[in-house]
Amino acid sequence: MNDTPKIDKLYALSSEKKKFSFRLPLSNRIRIGKRNYVVQLKGDEKYGTYILWKNRRYPVEIVRSRQNKYEILFNDISYTFTVETPFSLQRMKVLSSGKGKAEKELIKAPMPGKIIDVPAREGSTILRGETVVILEAMKMQNEILSPVNGKIVRVNAKAGTNVMKDDVLAEIKVE
Amino acid sequence: MKIAKILIANRGEIAIRIMKTAKMMGIRTVAIRTAVEPAAMYLSFADEVFDNSEDESEIPVFLNVEKLIAIALKSGANAVHPGYGFLAESAYFAQKCLDNNIIYIGPSPDAIYKMGNKTIARRLALKSGIPMAMGSEGNISDEEEAVRIADKIGYPVIIKAASGGGGRGMRIVRKAEEMERMFTIASKEAEKAFNDPSVFIEKYIENPKHIEFQILGDSKGNIIHLGERECSIQRKHQKLLEEAPSCALDAGLRKKMGEMAVRIAKAVDYSSAGTVEFLLDSERNFYFMEMNTRIQVEHPVTEVITGIDLVEQQIRIANGETLKLKQEDIKLRGWAIECRINAEDVQAGFAPSPGKIEKISMPSDNYVRVDTGIQEGSAIVSSYDSMIAKLIVSGKDRKEAIRNCKMALDKVWIKGTKTTLPFFRLLVRNQKFIDGSFTTAFIEKDLDKYYFYSDYEEMLAAWLATRLFVDENLQETNTSRDAANSSEMSPWLLNKRITQF
Repeated sequence: MNDTPKIDKLYALSSEKKKFSFRLPLSNRIRIGKRNYVVQLKGDEKYGTYILWKNRRYPVEIVRSRQNKYEILFNDISYTFTVETPFSLQRMKVLSSGKGKAEKELIKAPMPGKIIDVPAREGSTILRGETVVILEAMKMQNEILSPVNGKIVRVNAKAGTNVMKDDVLAEIKVE
Repeated sequence: MKIAKILIANRGEIAIRIMKTAKMMGIRTVAIRTAVEPAAMYLSFADEVFDNSEDESEIPVFLNVEKLIAIALKSGANAVHPGYGFLAESAYFAQKCLDNNIIYIGPSPDAIYKMGNKTIARRLALKSGIPMAMGSEGNISDEEEAVRIADKIGYPVIIKAASGGGGRGMRIVRKAEEMERMFTIASKEAEKAFNDPSVFIEKYIENPKHIEFQILGDSKGNIIHLGERECSIQRKHQKLLEEAPSCALDAGLRKKMGEMAVRIAKAVDYSSAGTVEFLLDSERNFYFMEMNTRIQVEHPVTEVITGIDLVEQQIRIANGETLKLKQEDIKLRGWAIECRINAEDVQAGFAPSPGKIEKISMPSDNYVRVDTGIQEGSAIVSSYDSMIAKLIVSGKDRKEAIRNCKMALDKVWIKGTKTTLPFFRLLVRNQKFIDGSFTTAFIEKDLDKYYFYSDYEEMLAAWLATRLFVDENLQETNTSRDAANSSEMSPWLLNKRITQF
C-alpha cells in the first residue's frame, strides 16, 4: 500500500520567503528568458566543489543540511533554503493562514518511513511526552512524542501510509 | 656596520614582503617558527628559521621584546625589521635593539615615542603650523574640563586616547549630556588597550575623507613624500580598501598637503618610511590626525604608482645611506587599489571567520599584485589578524583600475572560510564608490547591505539545495524500503534513474 502522491515540482524557499520552483525530474538545464543554460555541479583537486554556469566556476559548499533545510555557501555568500513539495508547501500555507496568533507546534517526521499507528485524535488534548504517531523506519518502530501540552488541531498522518522526512504529521495548538 | 642579516620580527604576508626585498638586495633573513603556525608559508622564504615552537606562552613572541633581542643575537642577525602591528611602533623595542647593537629598520625611538603619544604629536604639529582640528592643548583630566573645551570649540567633538590608534579609545560626543558617559568609556578603553587612560578632545570632522601621505626620510635630514593614499573605505576605523592616488586631490592640494606632511616629519627628524594621516573635509580643508612610524599594510598601492620599493628604501636608510630620490623625481603613474581579503563574515557584521584554507588561487594578470602569507592548508588562527591576502590591482586611471579590480575579484578562489570578497564585489559596482564621493561614513551610512547579491547566484544556490534534497531523500527512502516490493518505486527513485548526476 503506497499512496505517495505524484510529485512533479519542488520549491526551494529562501529565508526571505523567496520561492524558486524546479520541475521534476530535476534537470540541469535552467531556462532564462528564451535560452536554456546548463548548470553543473563539479569538483576537482584544484578548485574543490564548484558549480559551472555560463562558463564560470562558482565555489560552493554545503555548510549544513538538516531535514529539508540546507545552508549553502555560494560564491562566498550563505543562503538558507527549505525544500518543499507542492503538498508540504500547501500544508505550510494552510497552517500559517490559520488563527496565526496561537502558538503552534508542528510534529514532523524525523525520518522517512511508514506510519504504523496514529493514537492522536483531532480535537483531543495531548500532554507533553504522549505519543502522536508511531513511525516505522529501518525496521524499528519509533514513537513520535509531543514536545508540548496542547490541543491536537490537525492530524495528517494515516496508518499504513509512507511519509517523507520532515512531512508534517500533526499540528498541536500550544496551551 | 652594514645590514647583513635581518631578523623578521613578524609573520604572514609582511614577513614575506620584507624577505623578498632582502633577498633581492643580497641580505640574509631569519624568520621565527611559532607553535601557533609551525608550518606557515613565510618560513619558506627565510634563509634561516629560528625554531621557537617550544615556547607556548600566551603572548606571541612577536610582542616579546627580550625574546626577540635574544633571538636576534643568537641567530647573528645585525638588524631587525618589525613589519606592521606587534612591536612596529614600540619605542622601547627600537631602543632595546640599539642598546644591543642591532640596527632597527625604522625611525628613531624618539620619533616613535613622540608620534605615538598623540598629545605630544598634537603639540608638535601645532608648533610647526600644521592645520589641526581645534581641541584641547593636552590631555584632559575630567569630564568637566572636557565640557568646558567642547563648549568653546563646538559639538560634535571626539575623545581620543593619548596613546591610541586603530580606533580604540575613541568616542564621538554630540552634546554635553553625553560627555560624562563617553569620557568614562573612552578613558577605560584606553587604559585597557594601551595601559594609559589619558585622553584629549578634538573637534569632530563630520564625514571626512581619510587621506594619508607616504613619507621617506634619511638620517641626513632629507625628507620627501611619495604622494597620497585614500583610505576612506573603512569600518569601525579598520581600513578595508585603499587606493593611490586619491580622486579628491588635485596637484595643488597634493603639493600643499605633501609639504605639511614633510614638515611634521621634520619636526621629529624622521628617518625611515612613515605615514602622515589627514582628514579632508568637504570644503577641502585638511587636518593632521596622526603619524604612523612604520611600514603600513596599504604601502603596495604607493609602490605600484611610484615604482619605488619602500622596504628597500627602509633598509637603505637604516644602513645610513643618503636618500637618492628627490621630491621632483617622484612621479605618480596610473592608479592602484588594494582590497584586504580577510577571513570575515560580511553577512554577520564582518565577524572574524577563522578556519583552514582548503583552496586558494589568486589571479595572475599583469595588472594584479598579490601579497599573501596564506597557502592551501594554512589556518587563519584567532591569535593573529584575519588577513588572507591583499589584492592590489592597477590601471592607467581610476576607471580602468576599478574595472580591472572587478575582473580580478571574480578570479579569486578561496575555500575554507568566509571572506570579505562579497563586500568588494558590491563596492566596485557602487555608484558612490565609482564617482569618488564616498567618505569614511560610507559603510555605515551609504550601504544598506554589505555584500554583493545576484538573483542568478541565489537561483543557482536554490537549485543546488533542491538537487541535494532530491538525492538525500531518494537514498533514505530507498534504505527504509529495502524489504518493500520493488513495484512501490517512489518518484524520487525514478528521478534519480532519469537524471544522471
